[in-house]
Parts: sequence; structure tokens; C-alpha cells
Amino acid sequence: MASYVVRRVAQALVVLLGVSVVVFALVHLVPGDPIRVSMGTRFNPDAYEALRARAGFDLPLPVQYGRYLANAAAGDLGVSFRSGDPVTTTLLGRLPATLSLAGSALLVALLIAVPLGIFSAIRSGSKLDYVATVFSQAGISLPDFWMAILLILLFSGVLGWLPPSGYVSPLADPIGWLSHLVLPAITVGVVSGSILTRFVRSSVLESLGEDYTRTARSKGLHERTVVTRHVLRNALVPIITVTGLQLAYLLGGVIIVEVIFAWPGLGQLALLAVQSRDYPVLQGTVLLVAVVFLLINLIVDLLYAAADPRIRYK
Amino acid sequence: MLARWLALFVVLLLGLAACGGGEPVDVDGDESADAGGDEVAGGTLIAAISGEPDQLDPHQTSAYASFQVLENVYDTLVQPTEELEFEPALATEWQVSDDQLTWTFTLREGVSFHDGSDFTADDVAFSYNRIIDEELANAYRFTSVTEVRAADDMTVEIEVDRPTPNLLANIGAFKGMSIVPEEFDDEMASSPVGTGPFQFESHSEGQSIELSANPEYWGDGPSLDGVTFRFISEGTVALTNLQGGEAHWTDNIPPQQIEQLSDDDSLVLESVPSTDYWYFAANQTREPFDKPEVRQALAWAIDREAVTSAAKFDAATVNQTAIPEGSAFYTDYAPYEHDPDRGRELLKEAGVEDLEVELMVTDEYPETVQAAQVLETQWGEVGISTNIRTLDFATWLDEQGEGNFDVFMLGWLGNIDPDDYYYAQHHSEGGFNFHGYANSEVDDLLDQAREETEDDARKELYDEAVQMIVDEASYVYLYNPDVVQAWVPEVEGYTVRSDRAIRFENVALNQ
Repeated sequence: MASYVVRRVAQALVVLLGVSVVVFALVHLVPGDPIRVSMGTRFNPDAYEALRARAGFDLPLPVQYGRYLANAAAGDLGVSFRSGDPVTTTLLGRLPATLSLAGSALLVALLIAVPLGIFSAIRSGSKLDYVATVFSQAGISLPDFWMAILLILLFSGVLGWLPPSGYVSPLADPIGWLSHLVLPAITVGVVSGSILTRFVRSSVLESLGEDYTRTARSKGLHERTVVTRHVLRNALVPIITVTGLQLAYLLGGVIIVEVIFAWPGLGQLALLAVQSRDYPVLQGTVLLVAVVFLLINLIVDLLYAAADPRIRYK
Repeated sequence: MLARWLALFVVLLLGLAACGGGEPVDVDGDESADAGGDEVAGGTLIAAISGEPDQLDPHQTSAYASFQVLENVYDTLVQPTEELEFEPALATEWQVSDDQLTWTFTLREGVSFHDGSDFTADDVAFSYNRIIDEELANAYRFTSVTEVRAADDMTVEIEVDRPTPNLLANIGAFKGMSIVPEEFDDEMASSPVGTGPFQFESHSEGQSIELSANPEYWGDGPSLDGVTFRFISEGTVALTNLQGGEAHWTDNIPPQQIEQLSDDDSLVLESVPSTDYWYFAANQTREPFDKPEVRQALAWAIDREAVTSAAKFDAATVNQTAIPEGSAFYTDYAPYEHDPDRGRELLKEAGVEDLEVELMVTDEYPETVQAAQVLETQWGEVGISTNIRTLDFATWLDEQGEGNFDVFMLGWLGNIDPDDYYYAQHHSEGGFNFHGYANSEVDDLLDQAREETEDDARKELYDEAVQMIVDEASYVYLYNPDVVQAWVPEVEGYTVRSDRAIRFENVALNQ
């Protein structure tokens, strides 16, 4: 198991190196440059050339990449063109809000998807199954920005129960943190939950038709025991996979929802970085998201072994 | 099993979220979280602004969001009044030598920076020389300046190599020309130290900036304890914050909601015409747009009222010249009207058939995208087919710089002195003349106007130049938008300014 993890980490480093090359090339090859953007309409050719030279943009791209990589290996991801702050500090500063939203949204998603998926599979073809299908279809189809605005108008505008936007640190004010978290978590959670519901349903449905389920039932086991002991256990592997992917996706930042709720997460940061062509921040964000994906994939693989005793890693 | 697994997951997530809170976020920034409701005298005003400042170095930033904050932190030597005339700020008086080549400024006594250090002539010399020597974006405002020196502690002398009638506008029109302390360092680029009514406290990235009152401020005020700028990019959400008492003031108001809001008694909504202008320009380095007839055809074909209404829902005034009526340099000249027949004739005269126009707009400014659709229809009526190209702003600017466009639409904001915008955009050597307009008569007029110290004579020179610019359709000016801002009735003493400067020094919260 330990050697398996080491091997996977080594593979991950190679993947990261590849990601860094691709990202570096992409961000530098798209039209637009950060100096031009920062000058906006008040463009002035002399100042532009001077600032470009100062930022090192007159050097060949491979040289710029070499410098970036050397610094990155030492943990220095550069300095934001936009704010002048170190990228690592900027990224770390975005983690609390990102983790809060991703974690709570996944929680909402699981609270919806697991019961709904299981019951609609067990009672497949029933009214409940029908309702669940409609719900998950609606959740996938409704644009999240629209749902966000509706929730804000209802719960903040009309009812006045919850703050419409913003973020509060849980350490400074746990109640405030929670009240600011509810609406964005529901918005993101409903979309994720709708996707997950379908996977839970199909996975449980498949497991229900397996031989071991028939055997368990013919042993005379209580239906409840059949479902919890045999069906769910076997249905877990695909559910873990999709849940992991959803979590990785959420940790990468939910751009539109973050922008609407003025939520200081990674998605909002990435959007700003794209708009202002803030190369170092954009590269740093993508690398961080890549690390998160790799890490979650590894954890998901290890969880398979826990869910299914037949899977062992050497 | 499932229940156990779920429970474990929940605990794990909560743990993650809680640990997350321990990361270096700015905890100070959260004190205002509940400041919405319980102000006593003074109080902290919460302003919802649409963007986040990129940086807080006044000499380096060009972002409006930065200037919204810095307006309240820094001062300039002179500053524009609400009527956009210049009044004393850090300088109390000034003289120009008889040969017009030396400006002498007497500085205000007893002013100190937020860090306690005294404000002196050395700070002024340092600030201006920094902009000049480091070739920062505003260095062009000093093109005629040969030397800035501290004659004594309280006197600054500026030498110019030609008469510079707009020197006051160049050094005082906006906070990009702020006086920073001589000890300016990298740290002050993110935590500014000025002489203004409010001092910088903290910046929580992605969330807010907090300012507190400067008790040593040289002017009246401030009567607030502080100001918090919250970044809320979605207009509907900013308004919900305002209506729910989570914010006191906002300028993030979707144009389509203005009418509905003006009936809302729980808010104060005010608008004034701005000196901003929006326009389109055809690329004169490309055929057939090098022919004035073709550009004029584009101008005759359009109905400005319809374009303006689509772009701004009538929160704007149409104009055929740059700045609005009532401004000191307004030119009363409007030769065009909506006349598609005239447009077709002009195209025929130019020998152009089946003209195809690529119109470059940017979603950074949604009004350009909306206006483009009306332009497409109206140009269609004179037989021009339009291909609308909507780009993100970074790409847009790049394409503009490379000259890769037929026609683009954009605006210029916060215009005070005509040398600033006419020279940059219509002089053949102008820094923003990307559309390649070159007319030696216009060049001469703009060169003369630059140095003309007599106000009336200067105005006449610009009037003459503007008429040529409009006649030859170098730019086709469209409209001047209104500055629209809203606040809760508890906010007292706030004034909407036509230059979009946001000043809270004389504002009180009455609760």
C-alpha cells in the first residue's frame, strides 16, 4: 500500500510538470497581455514598453518558462501582476472560502442524492421515482446563476432571513459564516445533488438485480438488511467515483456562483486572473486545481479498497 | 455501514471547513460583517462597489475600483469641484510666472500623512518625479514638465518647456496624481498611506477594503468612523444588499432597473450627466474606411436615440461631440441626423458596394454589445452588412493595438481637460489614435490649443478642431451616460459627481 502511494505521487509529479507546460503555453499564447489590460483605455505607448520590459515579457517564452519552473520548484509561484502579492499567499487566502463552499455543497448534494437515489431505485417505477427523476432533471437543467438570483431574491430580498452575499470567517463569527454559506451551498449542492442522484439510483438499481441480492433475499433476510448490507455496499464503488469527481470539481471553484454571491473562492480568483491576464495567478490556480484532482483521485482509489474487500493495492 | 460512512464524511467535511478558517484570511475584515444595522453617531458606511481594486498604488493603477477607494485616502495638490473647476487641496495657492514657464505652489501648513509624518514639498517632488522617472502610465501628463523641485519646505516649483494652461488638470483631475509620502515603498502599494479623510485599515481579498476616519484630516470631516467597500459584481445582488440594509450605498445598478428603483421610497436614487463619452471609430488604415464618405455613411445611418436607449435604457444623453452640454469645453455642433438615404448616397459617391463591416465590441462593457445590435440593424438599412465580434477586454485591447478591426465601440471616462482626450485620440501622434486619423489641420489646432493660455481662445481652437473631427467622422460620438448611484435614506450629505469621484468625507449616517 505504501509503495503504491509513493508510485502514485511520483506519477502525479510528472503529470504536474506536463500541466505546467501546457498552462504556461496556453496563457501566454492567448491574445491580450496583462500590461495592456492594466492600462485599459488610458493607453500610452512609451509607458507600455517600459512596463513590459520591467515584467520580463521581452524575453523568449522558453526562458520565461525556465525561470517560472525554477522558482515554482522552490515553492515560489511568482507575484500577481494585478495586486503585486505573492501567488502562494493569494491562493492560500482563497482556501477557507473554497473549502467551506465545496464541503457544504457536497454535503447538501449527498443529503439529497443518497436518500433520493436509493429510494427511487428500490421503488423504481413508483411515483417517488418519477418525482426524483423530474427533480434531478430540473436540477441539472436549471442554470445555477438563475437559481442563485432566485434564492437571493426570495430569502434575502422578500423574506430577509439570510444575507444576500459575502463571506465571513468561521473563526470570527461561526453563525455569520453559516448564514452566509447557506444560499451558495444550496445553489451548488442542488446541481451536484441532481447529478449524483442519477448515479446513486442506477448504481443501486444495478446492484438490486445481481445474483447476490437474490441469494440474500432467498436466505430470508429482512429487506432492510438486504439493502444496507448487500446492495449499498456493492453500489458504493461507482458512487465514490462520481462523488470524488464532484468534490474535485467543486474545489476547483464554482465560478459563476462565487461571482454572484461575492464569495472569495478560487473560481472568482481564476476569473479575475483570466480577465486581467494575470499569468502567475492563473498558472498557480490551475496547478492547484490539478493537485486537488490528483489528490482526490488517489483518495478515491484508496477508498475503493475500503468499500470493496476484493480490491487490494500493492 | 452507509450511515457510518456518511457520518464520517460529514465530520471530515466540517473539519476541513473549520481548518480552512484557520488559514491566513484577514480576520479584521470581518468586524464589519454585522455593522449593517447598529450604527450610532459616526458609524461605518458600507459601500457596495462592483469591482475589486487591482492594487492601491495610485500612480500605477488604472482601475476605477481602485480610485473609488483611493479617492478617500489620498489628496492631490488641487482638486476638481463638483463643477470640475480646480480648487485648493494640498496646495493653498499658486502662481504662474510671466513667461508661463514656472508654476509655484504654496503648500498647506500642518498636514500630516496617516503614518504621522509631516507633509512637505519633498513629498510632492518625490511623487511627481516618481511618475516621470519610472515612466509610469500617467507620465504623459508631464510631457511639458522639465523639472519639479522643492524650493523650500512649503513651496514647490514646476518648470515647463512650453506654456501649459492645463497643468492644474494634469496634476489634479484625478487621484492618479496623488501625493504619496517620500518614504513610499512596496508595502504602501497594498496598504496606502495618504493625507485624505480616511486611512487604510485592511483588505480582505475577494471581499472588502476597510478604511477608518483620519482624525488629523486637514479639511472638514470626516464624521463617519469608517467606510467599508464591499466587492459585489452582480448588480441585482448589490441592490438586494442595499434594500436589506446590508449595505448603505452602491453604484452597481443595472440600467434596466433604474426606472423601477426611482419609485422605491426606501432608497434614494440620484443621477447626474457624466463627462464620459461612448463612440465608435472606423479603422482609417483599412479600405474603404480611409474614405471620409464611408465613415460619414456609417454616421448618417444611425439613430442615436435608439442606440442610446438600447445601451443605457435612457440613462444617457445623446451627443455628437465628446463631452456634454454644460461642460466648459462643450462644442455645440450636431450636423448628423438619422437619414439612411443620405448614407446610401455617400456610399455610392465613394464607389463602395456590398460593404461588410466587422464591429468589435467587448462583454467587459455590455452596453457596447447591446448598442452593436442596434448598429447592425441600422447599418443594414443602408445596405451595410455587419459582423459583430464580441471579445473579452484583454483580447479586445490586443486587437485594437494591432489594428485588427474595421470598427470598434468604446468609451472614455472621467474627462475634464480636452487636451487629455482630443489630443490622445485625434492627433496623428496621439497615444490612443489606433484608428489612424491624421489631419494636419487638426494636428495644428490641437498643438496650438495645448499652449493657449487664454481660456476663450483655447475654447475656440478646440471648437474648430472638434468640428473637423466630427465632419470627417474620425470618431462618431454617440452619448454621455449618467452617473447613477443609490443609497439608503440614513446616508446624509452625499453628492453624485459628474466625474464619478466617490467622496465620503462629508457624509454622515443618521440612525
